[in-house]
Amino acid sequence: MKRQIVALLLILVAVSFGFSQTKVVVNEWRIPFLNCLTGPIAAIGEFLQWGANYAANEINAAGGIAGKPVRVIPVDTGNDPQKGSVEMARIVKDSLVAMGPVPEPVILAAMPIAVENQMMSITATTSYEYAVQFFPWTVSWFPPTLDRLPALVIGWAKQFSDLKQVVQFIEPYGPWPGMAEAHSKALAGLNIKELKAIEVPTDAVTFGPLVVRALDQKPDGIILVCNAEKAAKIIKELKSRGWTKMNHILVFSSADDAQLYSTGGADLNGVQVYNYLNLEVSNPRWDKFKAAFAKDHNGQMPFSLSPNYYDALYMIKEAIEKTGVTGDPKKLKEERKKIADYCANVKGFQGLLYEWDMKDGVPTNKPSYIFEIQNGVKQFVLEVRP
Amino acid sequence: MPLSLYYFLSITAVNILMSWALYVPYRVTQLHFITIANMMISGYLAGYLVLHAHVPFIWALLIGFAVGGIIGFIVSLFIGDAPTFSVVIVGFTSIYITRTIVENLPIIGGTMGMFGLPNIGGNPGTHRWIILCILYGLVILCGFLIYRFDHSSIGRAASAVFVDKELASSLGIDIKKLGMLVQTFSCTLAGGVGVLYGFIYRSFHLDFFGFALIGIFMTVLFVGGYSTQWGPLITAPILYGLPLFFPTEVQSWRIVIYGLLLILVLELKPEGFITRKFVHSLGLSFSRKRAKEIYSKEEEQ
Repeated sequence: MKRQIVALLLILVAVSFGFSQTKVVVNEWRIPFLNCLTGPIAAIGEFLQWGANYAANEINAAGGIAGKPVRVIPVDTGNDPQKGSVEMARIVKDSLVAMGPVPEPVILAAMPIAVENQMMSITATTSYEYAVQFFPWTVSWFPPTLDRLPALVIGWAKQFSDLKQVVQFIEPYGPWPGMAEAHSKALAGLNIKELKAIEVPTDAVTFGPLVVRALDQKPDGIILVCNAEKAAKIIKELKSRGWTKMNHILVFSSADDAQLYSTGGADLNGVQVYNYLNLEVSNPRWDKFKAAFAKDHNGQMPFSLSPNYYDALYMIKEAIEKTGVTGDPKKLKEERKKIADYCANVKGFQGLLYEWDMKDGVPTNKPSYIFEIQNGVKQFVLEVRP
Repeated sequence: MPLSLYYFLSITAVNILMSWALYVPYRVTQLHFITIANMMISGYLAGYLVLHAHVPFIWALLIGFAVGGIIGFIVSLFIGDAPTFSVVIVGFTSIYITRTIVENLPIIGGTMGMFGLPNIGGNPGTHRWIILCILYGLVILCGFLIYRFDHSSIGRAASAVFVDKELASSLGIDIKKLGMLVQTFSCTLAGGVGVLYGFIYRSFHLDFFGFALIGIFMTVLFVGGYSTQWGPLITAPILYGLPLFFPTEVQSWRIVIYGLLLILVLELKPEGFITRKFVHSLGLSFSRKRAKEIYSKEEEQ
């Protein structure tokens, strides 16, 4: 009998020890978000932050992460690598996990600090080619460019039997020339002749000469790989010079934001654009998100990267809850690794728009879409899945 | 050493050195922005040498200095005595040209940037100490050289050129040679600092060397005071460090605060906070105090 009581007591102690091990020790989960809230891309930073904050409010309303509220701490880098690196150096001291940085120059300056300190920071807006440099301490939100883009261009080109010659307008910024290369790969595979690319200078303000040079080559189709404002101005210029086959123009995903529509206006009618965000998808979470976004953004629908940090925060939530992370500063190193490992290979993650899997930090089954713009609204044309 | 302190100290040193790289040519009224292009050229070159050609860092750094100096010297042959505006134009143009060249060279990362520069000394801790030692060694060395320059006959000649070029010419000062000297010095310095700048981050990206850098260095130079070397030395840590302690809400206004500060200083104290007069009077008060101390000690004896 005595033996049984001792055994029972031992079991109780072990169980209670087990419980205490997984007990959350923080009163609040604080997730720093190295974002770009001032400077040239502050508008993008605003809606990225909006998405993260919206997720935090939603999570808190539903009981928080493992029963504790979450707070996203905005850390403005102002697009400045100097500031980004100092802020990341502060964050890695005691943070469990972070989000950002945004954009690429700050990623290059600040992510090596996260890697050195073995802290995961989810860079959910950059391309695979940047993210992979910092594996396993970040994950890529997109598959490798050369794997995902050719299928989209093939989907676009196959709609038109008269597409024989295509010209690309390419702005030399970050991963964009690499994306243009992926488009070229698709065109070569379809035996469509690619004409001499037109380089769009980063500081270009007039586009007439560039458009004339492109039209001189007599293209049947055009792919625009430049920022939203420039893409819109090039389209206006093309139209003013007699271009009529508007759906033979394909705009790449990074140009699909507010400035494209505000600058392009009615001249965009018929133009096709590829993206990862499908406004026509309907599910309760996404519908609520769209409505709230529109309410806070003068009726505008979410832009291309809007849900990325919403999903990132939910992924962190899932990682914390599924791996039993406690937030105990003494276990910081171990728990940072748990989160990174979980996110790198999460299966069946319920994103805002769709469910996806990750394999070694890379999404394996995220769909992308082609739309046609009509009166400022994107109409679904086709879905491409890997 | 706390990581954030390391980044604060290293970037402050870069800001001091680069503001000095602007200060020296400005002694003869030249705003020499080609220094930013020099940072970029030497930085990327050193990055390539270390990463792909496996050249030891110290050699890559020395090559960075040398390349900066050679470019500065060659350019100075043409603009050694050019007026302020022409030098500014050459500077901006060279930044554009360099950016375009880098963008089109996939071998150094093109528009993507250069990743994964190794730790000097094999581990991050040693890397940081080496970078800090080199940077502050440079601050001391350059500070000494600039001090000697300012207090030499060449420095006085530069002051004469700053006040009136024609008058300086009539006094027998070779304006072109003087311009070539200060331009070559500032480009050499910028070349080396460019290498160190990239190795602080252990990566290079075109936007590390954007026009924002000009804004930072100009603010440090003009708010601190362009007439002595002490202005940048004192202002760089304050201007860079203070905003880091601002609350988040105020941090968003950092650029506006910088801009307002620059306008206010140019309006109210056009020579900046640390002027020659201020340094001179400070020196005098110290020497009086010191003279008094010596005198009282002698009396006691």
